[in-house]
Amino acid sequence: MNRFTGKTSGLEEWLEQVRQNTEIMDNVTHWRTLAPREARTAPLPDGLHHAWKEALRSRGISELYTHQAEAYRAARAGHHVVAVTPTASGKTLCYNLPVMQSLLENEEGRALYLFPTKALAQDQVAELQALADLMDVGIKTHTYDGDTPPTVRTAIRNAGHIVVTNPDMLHSAILPHHTKWVKLFENIKFIVIDEVHAYRGVFGSHVANVIRRLKRICKFYGSNPQFICASATIDNPQEHAERLIGEKVSLVDNNGAPMGEKHFVFYNPPVVNKQLGIRRSSVLETRKLAGLLLKQGVQTIVFARSRVRVELLLTYLQELIRDKINDKSIRGYRGGYLPKLRREIERGLRSGEIRGVVSTNALELGIDIGQLQACVLNGYPGTIASTWQQSGRAGRRQESSITFMVASSNPLDQYMIQNPDFFFNRPPERALIHPDNLLVLIDHVKCAAYELPFEVGDTFGSESLADMMEFLVEEKVLHKAGNRWFWMEQSFPAHNISLRSAAQENFVIIDNTSGSRVLGEVDRFSAPTLIHEEAIYIHEGVQYQVEKLDYPEKKAYVREVSVDYYTDANLAVELKVLYVDKERESGDLIRQYGELTVNAKPTIFKKIKLRTHENIGSGPIHLPEEELHTSGYWFSFSEEAAARKSKNEMQFALLGIANVLVHIAPLYLMCDPFDIRVVPQVKAVHTQKPTIYFYDRYPGGIGLSERLFEVHDDLIRQAKSLIRGCSCLSGCPACVGPIEEVGLLGKQQALELLNEAEGIR
Amino acid sequence: MSGMRDRMNRLRGESGDKDKATLEPIPSSMEATASVLEEPEEEQLSPVWETFGVKLHRNEEGSFLMRRIVYPVDFRHGLHSLGELSEAAAGLTAFHPIDLISAEQILFLDLETTGLGVGAGNVPFMIGIGYMSKEQFVIEQTLIRHPAEERAMLVYMAEKFQHYAYLATYNGKTFDWPLVQNRFIMNGLSRKIWEPMQLDFLHPARSIWRNTLVSCRLSHVEEERLGIHRKDDVPGSLAPQLYFQYLATGDPSPLEGVFQHNETDMLSLACLAVRFGHLLSGNIEEYIPLPDEPEEMVRTGLWLERMDRNKLSERLFHMATEADDAKPSTLLMLAARDKKAGNWDRAVLLWQKAIIHSSSNYNSAANEASIELAMYYEHKVKDFESALGHANQAFEQAMTHSMLTKRDSKKRAELEALRNRITRLRRKQEKHIQ
Repeated sequence: MNRFTGKTSGLEEWLEQVRQNTEIMDNVTHWRTLAPREARTAPLPDGLHHAWKEALRSRGISELYTHQAEAYRAARAGHHVVAVTPTASGKTLCYNLPVMQSLLENEEGRALYLFPTKALAQDQVAELQALADLMDVGIKTHTYDGDTPPTVRTAIRNAGHIVVTNPDMLHSAILPHHTKWVKLFENIKFIVIDEVHAYRGVFGSHVANVIRRLKRICKFYGSNPQFICASATIDNPQEHAERLIGEKVSLVDNNGAPMGEKHFVFYNPPVVNKQLGIRRSSVLETRKLAGLLLKQGVQTIVFARSRVRVELLLTYLQELIRDKINDKSIRGYRGGYLPKLRREIERGLRSGEIRGVVSTNALELGIDIGQLQACVLNGYPGTIASTWQQSGRAGRRQESSITFMVASSNPLDQYMIQNPDFFFNRPPERALIHPDNLLVLIDHVKCAAYELPFEVGDTFGSESLADMMEFLVEEKVLHKAGNRWFWMEQSFPAHNISLRSAAQENFVIIDNTSGSRVLGEVDRFSAPTLIHEEAIYIHEGVQYQVEKLDYPEKKAYVREVSVDYYTDANLAVELKVLYVDKERESGDLIRQYGELTVNAKPTIFKKIKLRTHENIGSGPIHLPEEELHTSGYWFSFSEEAAARKSKNEMQFALLGIANVLVHIAPLYLMCDPFDIRVVPQVKAVHTQKPTIYFYDRYPGGIGLSERLFEVHDDLIRQAKSLIRGCSCLSGCPACVGPIEEVGLLGKQQALELLNEAEGIR
Repeated sequence: MSGMRDRMNRLRGESGDKDKATLEPIPSSMEATASVLEEPEEEQLSPVWETFGVKLHRNEEGSFLMRRIVYPVDFRHGLHSLGELSEAAAGLTAFHPIDLISAEQILFLDLETTGLGVGAGNVPFMIGIGYMSKEQFVIEQTLIRHPAEERAMLVYMAEKFQHYAYLATYNGKTFDWPLVQNRFIMNGLSRKIWEPMQLDFLHPARSIWRNTLVSCRLSHVEEERLGIHRKDDVPGSLAPQLYFQYLATGDPSPLEGVFQHNETDMLSLACLAVRFGHLLSGNIEEYIPLPDEPEEMVRTGLWLERMDRNKLSERLFHMATEADDAKPSTLLMLAARDKKAGNWDRAVLLWQKAIIHSSSNYNSAANEASIELAMYYEHKVKDFESALGHANQAFEQAMTHSMLTKRDSKKRAELEALRNRITRLRRKQEKHIQ
């Protein structure tokens, strides 16, 4: 250690210091050291074009990692391929290698690259163009997205060997205008889909249908391209890729990239109020840890889960350098930043000029920022897959790296922090898509019919095409002539269909106290109960009252107030089971999976006095009822169990269990927490028993509750272990919920009910 | 089938009741089509078609409908007669200065389509073409009774196209022609059927009339400048709906209006060719009137210059300069042209006029003119005192104006630039005096 600056000479020495520091170590619940891994390599394949070989050599690549070599072999053998690689393992070569080789052999060939975001696409083009220039061959790579100037579009359509775009652009610009892309579609040899794990849920279901349309167009032009996909580590890469592209794929997952020693540290902020189970703010703890790292000169990335948190942490961390004028060594990074600024930050990180960056999961994807030394996660990122991706940002090939995961007080975080084995031993989540969701499917059948008439005997997805065609004829968008169905409508269907919707439609909260500023956001589904008119909305400890909710415009206008009550809205949820697909029994529990409709309408809100929790008034909420037809899964407790508890006790027990389940369900799903909903009912209409329902928050369902139905036993076990393991006395927000919600005995009631279901009394 | 509808309704959160209306048996287009298709091979066309001159046309690919109208060359459509085309065509050579264009080489084209845009799902259900043949102007309009007839229609058209070198349209470069190409690709027909040289009159129309006409739609241009007044015209925007109505019911009568609309479009297109042909030949006044408004004079002159036909331009520019009612923006437009061409004397005159013509009210044109004059005196004449005078004037105008309105970043930048200019001019002036 340098006596004058207090800086240690390296990360290793610093880690040793940390281990001595009881103030930190008291909160460390788990410290795992992952051993370094040697590179496993294979020689450059025989028959590689000499120019390509030279270009790779000049980049210092004289051999391949095993996974790159295998991906190349599989692609050359004509298979569709999915390559699974962790962050920074030379993933792009898995597809660039066979694609470039093929283009060097036949310059008439074409390839289409799909990335989920524009930023990733631009990175890739720079890389490919640099390679082509190095080889001094005329292979042209272009991005084609909303930013592409109209003047160069024609040139790209005709002359671009590799067209790099995103699914949205493919959906709304390229496919509906395929006649302008004859050259591409006639000669297309490869379709590269990177970050396939990002295509899941509703978005993924849409993308799978866009790919069905893409294949249909390729077939029309007589081409039969090969797919090469790349994925982060998820539980089901092969199955997922196969569902996405509708073809059998070869799985390549023998990662041969080296890794330095890696420390993974679980950090739980100390409890400050044992009764209420309140812990110190994870933001403040994150600031502390990241601050220590940055003071040591360790290049650090901090991940936070929302934009607001990113800004907050950034402000805190920049205080470290506020004395230094013009110091730009600590930066933020998130979606709202302009592309130019983002490029600048990425460069700064690669060159090492930028020492610290606070980011949303925007930096989780494969944007090239080089390798950092330390990573601090503010809160569990939501999935095991994301956690590994984010942690992978730290870790150089020869050096040690460290990741701190700072838990927040939400139940999922608390579960993870207390069950490190669950995290380290479990495969990451499964990516789920449901391309045959009827609503999604019909949307794309329309687009597909616009692009090319359907013919009797064609298929598209698992629904009967003839039925769908007939329906669309009745809807007056298609016209049948002979044995073909033609698009006969004035509109351009792709314009009205967005691949990314649902959860992204947030309500903006605007504070009108002095002038108007945006205070925050609330997701669409929480809006009716959180920001109805007259609601008290609490933001960073300050109370605001909602003055006006502009429902169609998705805006709530609030003003700062100081009152001694909070509001609590009643949401009347009606569930109707339409039919039961599957049924299973385990112990005393019967569970079913099927289709249901959900009617939700906020009815009244109550004003509840702070501290005493007296009800001091109420008012109506005038908002439209929302009806959702979706798939769901539910389980009921026996009538005997019901008989042993009062209605009130049962209410608290079910609510407690539901609160836990909704938080740990994402353990098994790769989804936004708002994509799945849970509703407890003391006496359900359908079963006449105490029942807990889960349903997919998207019309028609996207496969989430079906998956939960399958892992039900495991889910219940985890729920129980979470409740038991929680350090609170009688329920807290990190397990069954606060006492205000589930009563003084909520925790006990929930446990009892779960035990009973297993026959333990 | 209704199973699919029920499921969709449930998913969309619509209750059955709301959909009662659509659930009622509607005249299904399916059945209508079926009846059309089931007509025997030696079909009898519904007599309704005959009432507006539509006949069945057959070729090796199948059948479609056709309406053919022949106009004598002395037919007058508004200000022009169709025969003028023979004379005016040579003028159009300016569009493609390779070979002299003759009227017989031009094919006029106008589509009626099922939608907007040039996506793969937009189908031209009617293709109108027009051409000069043996001292007559012939219009042929083809119509498909259902999409399966498209191929036969396209094959007919492909043959027709071969006889012409030029394609005259209104917005055909970006709409009609790419759409026809789409259809050839979609029907698996050869892609390079025809590579015409384009005569797209939308572009010159916009260049000339952008600020003098409310809209540059063909129906508006023809009324204002070609003396054509349509009676009982079915607007083109209604054409898709009328066609869908026909598809659903099988009743041809709604389409009569569409045929007529398309026919008038074809005639107007021919007259527009006459108009631009005359203009480019320099036959102004003889056949076509001189523009009234200085704005149109200048724009016409500028367009002719761009088309490399500047003989007339100078006269138009002179008229505009002399006119009393020229708008300051018009004067500035011409001044910019003169500045570029090095015609400084008139440019200065125009800038001065622009300032005078701008009323006492603030006018951005006056401001721009003052700045131009300041530049002129600073860089061209090196008369720093005059330059400073104009710069100060511009600054005052800008300041007065910015008091009245909100200053945005652009305005702030303008003010800043003016301040710099004034400082620099003061410095130069002092140095000059020393």
